[in-house]
Amino acid sequence: MTLSHLATEDVFVVERNDADFRAGQGMTKGLGIVFRKFRKALFGKPNSDRADTEGQFNVQYPEERLAMPEAYRNMPILLYDDATGHELCTSCFQCERICPPQVIHITQAKDPATGKPVPAAAKFVLEYDTCMSCGYCAEVCPFDAIKMDHDFELSTANHPELDVDYNRLLRPVSYYETIAPTMWSDVKEQAMKKLQNNIKRRPGDIGRDHGQKIKGGAPVAAAATPAAGAAPAAAAKPRGPVAAIGKNMPEDKTAKLLAIRAANAAKRGGGAADAAPVAQAAPVVEAVADAPAAVSAAPTGPVAAIGQNMSEDKRAKLEAIRAAKRAERGE
Amino acid sequence: MNPIAIGVFIVIALLTLGSGIMVVTVRNIIHSALWLIASFIGVAALYLLMEAEFLAVVQILVYAGAVSILVLFAIMLTRQVTGEGVRVVFERWWVALLIALGLFGVIVPTLWKHGATWEEAAKLAQVGPAPVEGAANSLQVATATEIGRSFMGEYLLPFEVVSVLLLMALIGAVVIAYEERTRRRRVLTLAEELALKKRGIVEPRDAEGAVMPREAEGKVILLDSEQA
Amino acid sequence: MADALTQLGFASWLSVLIASIIKVTLILVGGSVGMMFLTWYERRSISYMQDRRGPNRVGPQGLLQPISEAIKTMTKEDATPRDADKIVHFLAPVVMLGATVLSFAVIPWGRMFPVDLNAAVLFVIATGGLHSIGMMMAGWGSNNKFALLGGMRGVAQLISYEIPQVMAIIPVVLMTGSMSLQKIVEAQNDFAGLGWYVFSPVGLLGFALFFTASLAEGERTPFDIPEADSEIIAGYMTEYSGMKFAVFYLSNYMSNLAVCFITATLYLGGGNGPGVDALGGIAGGLLSLIYFLLKSFALFFVMVLIRATVPRLRVDQLMSFAWKFLLPLVLVNILSASFWVALLRWDQQWPKLTEWFGAPSTADATNWGRLAIAIVLTLLINAGAVALIMRLTNRNVQKHLYTTDEELALGLS
Repeated sequence: MTLSHLATEDVFVVERNDADFRAGQGMTKGLGIVFRKFRKALFGKPNSDRADTEGQFNVQYPEERLAMPEAYRNMPILLYDDATGHELCTSCFQCERICPPQVIHITQAKDPATGKPVPAAAKFVLEYDTCMSCGYCAEVCPFDAIKMDHDFELSTANHPELDVDYNRLLRPVSYYETIAPTMWSDVKEQAMKKLQNNIKRRPGDIGRDHGQKIKGGAPVAAAATPAAGAAPAAAAKPRGPVAAIGKNMPEDKTAKLLAIRAANAAKRGGGAADAAPVAQAAPVVEAVADAPAAVSAAPTGPVAAIGQNMSEDKRAKLEAIRAAKRAERGE
Repeated sequence: MNPIAIGVFIVIALLTLGSGIMVVTVRNIIHSALWLIASFIGVAALYLLMEAEFLAVVQILVYAGAVSILVLFAIMLTRQVTGEGVRVVFERWWVALLIALGLFGVIVPTLWKHGATWEEAAKLAQVGPAPVEGAANSLQVATATEIGRSFMGEYLLPFEVVSVLLLMALIGAVVIAYEERTRRRRVLTLAEELALKKRGIVEPRDAEGAVMPREAEGKVILLDSEQA
Repeated sequence: MADALTQLGFASWLSVLIASIIKVTLILVGGSVGMMFLTWYERRSISYMQDRRGPNRVGPQGLLQPISEAIKTMTKEDATPRDADKIVHFLAPVVMLGATVLSFAVIPWGRMFPVDLNAAVLFVIATGGLHSIGMMMAGWGSNNKFALLGGMRGVAQLISYEIPQVMAIIPVVLMTGSMSLQKIVEAQNDFAGLGWYVFSPVGLLGFALFFTASLAEGERTPFDIPEADSEIIAGYMTEYSGMKFAVFYLSNYMSNLAVCFITATLYLGGGNGPGVDALGGIAGGLLSLIYFLLKSFALFFVMVLIRATVPRLRVDQLMSFAWKFLLPLVLVNILSASFWVALLRWDQQWPKLTEWFGAPSTADATNWGRLAIAIVLTLLINAGAVALIMRLTNRNVQKHLYTTDEELALGLS
């Protein structure tokens, strides 16, 4: 076995034992190589050929940037349609459910006139600091509303800034098209079709306000409460799978689910046979909303316990649900 | 000599003497060696004051740079460095004092005898270098050229004697090192150790488990390839 | 300068004092600024050798990077180990820096600021020798085994390489007939400012040997054994931080700079070059300063190139290189230097010989016939010596000292 097959001009085989006289030839050669590298790096053009070994490979980062691969993913963003301004998100909660670190928090929008859920998110909060950029949310989104951004310069001295809401999440579709053209063209048609369908079900500016009008959860509840009286009952679609998941669900979600079920039942039955579960669930929600510290007498103990530790937006969510329920019952 | 030079001389002399006293009184032996260096440098400064640049530089090069470092090396090979509980003054201190006084008594009259010419030399130095080479005062042996000339002319015999002495020391060092080297086998690499082991050659070891030189054979262990 | 001040009406002692203070300040400022530039220069060049760009953000082309780093280093905590010998620990960087700054005193900056000392060459070497004291103090005072190891290594290396370094200068001193750097520069002014010693066989070998030995003196790679990071952390600097470490760093780079200056002066003609004499006056002086700096920084570039190329030697390789390779060659070089001087300048060096044998046909040093004979003779001696040493240190000749893997494999079978 010899090294002859390697002895191209770039590989220097110094035969140490054969030469009788070696006046530092090896060292001279080495110095020559290093000097050549120096010359090529200093005077040569920038070299982006990764197979090459000589030249200037550095990219001067803030001024020059390498092109990102299309599928590069950093943090999730939400898309809205350039033409109409409508967001693609329908608040289907798929991303919230699949998110491994559970950093997505969605509040579904309600029709202020009827109190019915609208296929749009009233509030969308994402904790960038805990997000692990897995991209599951973008994978699972049936409406191609949530996508992974290429922007990675997110460092900040202000930690709470990393809880990002609509204001900072929304990007136009055209932006996503520039960073991932082929990936968008694959899904563009069906996404736009779905969006058109959703737009039809969105009354007024809902789903188009880019989160500008929604500041905190209170206005939503306030908007929902006065409108309660006039809200006609509308059949909500039964959510089979959700009920099944309920057993292993975290507590806040259980609470939400209970509330939703209760609301559905109220709408459907209007005080019929399944009024019992409603009666069971409703006071729990009310107790939580009115007095968070109060110990609930209801059998679903965990729900009451959550109330103390609940975050603002979740409480707002509960508030909204409660308002909706009052409206139902008040009928 | 002008007053500034005298002032500088007094300062340097005091510093030199002070460090000399520190050398013998400090308990920490490393500190004492460092004080010794300080006093060497003080002597060099004195030479410089006498405009004997060459001597001053050689004093720094040889004494401060080399001799003192050898002293430090030797000290670091000793066990007790910090000198806790070491007596600084021994019982027979007066013998050392006598020897020192004797040396002083030899040096001072010599200086005294040549004092007049010394002053003349100082005057010469103030005026500037001798206009014609060779016509300079024979006592003003300050520059390298003059030192070289006097070594090769007037003081040839002492110079050669000292050279022979140094040569002897050098040869002695070589002989000692050479004997050490032949007695010691070169350190084997791990692969060579393994080769020896596989060929069943067990190295003789002493009681403490260290490898013993195989003196009985009169030569080092050689591998086959080396014998060939 | 002192004379000018005296004429301005200052007392003589005051003018001497003021002049000295100005000179010292100039040397200190020039040395530190030079060192700052040097760190930038080294980092940028070595970056390009490694296909990088190096610091290029702070200031134009990153020139202000050393300043920001100096500020950073000086605002760091200055920690002293609890069991360290505090005074020695504190004094070590002072001694190092002092020794380095001293060596700057005799450097002739082209022809702008002629400084003359009778034994300038020796002075530079002597101040280099003082480094070993600082190293020893740092190594011992830190109370750290790595520091002590580094200090010991450094001192052993410095003492060993001082010998070839000093002896490599002897040919230059022989050829010039003086130890003053000023005179050495003047002696290299033949051939329209290009009569540098490095163009003669004696000077060439001397240059190579002196530069190599100086690399070891300045602890540059491949001789950076005292601060071998991968083995003993930072050697004698292990326990130093903040300002004290900065002083060590400063002294290291300043001594490297001094080595470059001295090498350029001894072998590359200092500020000599074509056009210096023709211009004359201040313009010529400026040109000579530019020549001098160019030569010095080219030498430093070679240092960086070597650092980027060659790996660190082992301690035993270091010692055997000094004693078995450099020293014999240096001795042979002295021999051929004396032949050179005898052939070219015997009438100047030995008037007695001229008395006895009559003056040589022409006393001119540029006599081409004698020059040719001298070049051939010294070239033969030097090349023969180099070839002989190469052969003696060749692995083939010293085969009994080495065992190759193949031989081991044969021995196993």
